[in-house]
Amino acid sequence: MSEQPTQGVSRRSFLKLAGLVGLAAQAGGLVAAGNNAGKSSESYTGWESFNPGTQFFNRKPFEFEGPAHSPVSAVRRPSHLTDYVFGRVGTFQKFYEKHPEWKLGDPLEDLELPPYLIEFYSKFPERLEWDFKTFSETIPNNMKDRKIYENYYKLADAYSEGFTAHGRSLPRPQAPPEISDFLKPLSEDKQIGDPVPFKSPDLAAEFIKEMAHRYGATLVRITKTNPNWLYSEGWRGCPPDYDFSKMPEHWTYAIVMAVPMEWDVIIGSPQFSTSYDAYDRVSTAATRLVGCIKYLGYPARAQTPMTGYDMIVPPHAVEAGLGEQGRTGFCITAELGGNARMAIVNTNLPLTIDKPIDIGIADFCKSCKLCAESCPSGAISMADSPDGMVIRGYEHWYINNGACYNYWRETMGPMGCRMCVATCPYSRKDNWLHDMARKLDPRDPTGVVRGSLLWTQKNFFDYPKAEEYHRPPVGHFASYRPEPPYMVADKYLDIPITNPNEGG
Amino acid sequence: MFFDGNIFWFLMGIIFILVAAGFKVFAEDKGWVLTWWKWLLAFIWYVIFTMSFYTYGTLHGERETADIRLFLLGMVISLILGVGFWRLMAVNPKNETTKEG
Repeated sequence: MSEQPTQGVSRRSFLKLAGLVGLAAQAGGLVAAGNNAGKSSESYTGWESFNPGTQFFNRKPFEFEGPAHSPVSAVRRPSHLTDYVFGRVGTFQKFYEKHPEWKLGDPLEDLELPPYLIEFYSKFPERLEWDFKTFSETIPNNMKDRKIYENYYKLADAYSEGFTAHGRSLPRPQAPPEISDFLKPLSEDKQIGDPVPFKSPDLAAEFIKEMAHRYGATLVRITKTNPNWLYSEGWRGCPPDYDFSKMPEHWTYAIVMAVPMEWDVIIGSPQFSTSYDAYDRVSTAATRLVGCIKYLGYPARAQTPMTGYDMIVPPHAVEAGLGEQGRTGFCITAELGGNARMAIVNTNLPLTIDKPIDIGIADFCKSCKLCAESCPSGAISMADSPDGMVIRGYEHWYINNGACYNYWRETMGPMGCRMCVATCPYSRKDNWLHDMARKLDPRDPTGVVRGSLLWTQKNFFDYPKAEEYHRPPVGHFASYRPEPPYMVADKYLDIPITNPNEGG
Repeated sequence: MFFDGNIFWFLMGIIFILVAAGFKVFAEDKGWVLTWWKWLLAFIWYVIFTMSFYTYGTLHGERETADIRLFLLGMVISLILGVGFWRLMAVNPKNETTKEG
């Protein structure tokens, strides 16, 4: 090793110094690159990216022959009138307003509720307690709170309203499936044309998925429609005497689509986030796809958050392999975690269906429990396993949707909570850090990766206590993370603003 | 954006080679005989060290408060491993002699 002295600094010393400087430069460069990876719109995993590129998780190695769901006892189809929280509370509210003197413990018959609701509440008394609390206590309190704090959330409400207004303009079926699904979009009498044959179901599925992505779906997979998961009544466009016992023949396939809520908004849950950005986008994508399929001569019907559902979506999403059913009851997807609002398009266009996947989410949920610990209403089960929790014939985690809805009506800003979405470790952006976790965990049979990720998540990340999300004085309308900068009302609006985090 | 572009990662690659070259000279001056496993240990340490910075930046960009905590965790792990690996670096094969006293 020859020393080649230069004026003051040898080549060897220069290399050592350069290495040291390089180390510092690399560290600094990686901070900058990481910062970019964390906040870049490229990491948003959604409609913002080039659409077909958003379904980036390779599911092939994790597919298995379905079904992912098998009944363990007699199956009961879900009811729009009772199981579906909005159907149930709407009816309860109507009758409770007629009898405001009614209290818990009084005979249900005194409320003059329909027999089906009396039967439901007798079977699930905790739902009655929560529904009563919602209308007797929570909503009146919320009206008072809004008078004080509403302006603080004005821009979050405005943001949400833009999506709501558009979503409401989307067309809903106005006639039974046998009629409306065969009509051209927005037409009351013009029939769709003859079906244009595809060369194969494989190619048809490929085309449909491409279209769905281009219409705005972040994720799309296909399965068969399961008659057990249709609502037992109340399909859109159908009269009360319609025969709801049989699935319309042309609902053979369920094209399941998903779109995330905005990433920088969802972490402002519960007070600043909204479901309506994703509701609107996924509903719009499904409506577009219906138009495309009908143009090719096949009947189609969209099941969407903005235009209504005739069936439940999560089990279809699981069967299609978008993800697995989590503790929260909804489908935790590979790319978006729980941050996925879903829609289905039913059609009889022959399509190759996808298989369900096992990427370990169901097992992860057993040990994680972060959503249950953060849930302000305690609606999510804290049990170690869903074993024995049989709901309508299927075994899965129990969710008390009465408690869940009650907290919805307590929040400020756009209605709803979404804390279970925001806290879910799978609900993370598309960047190197989270993609590495997504790829490593399902491939690690030892569980070491899962354990390490969970340990890190629980010990290094902040989770406000569940009580903090409540109204004062119990809480202070906390949010999981601060609102995005463009929702800071104080910065933009010239109105009196009271911040609940500063003690009112 | 520069920090996710090809030029940036090309520069990072060049800097990495420079750091490796600097380490080689440093090790020679210390009298360490760099066997394959020592290179491997050094590489592992370097990955952990630099990933701490990358993780910090990423979580900071996501506005996660865990950014600094995980960075400190990474630094502590780097320090502990660094001390251990440093000692191992001085272990030379039997036929070799250590220049350092």
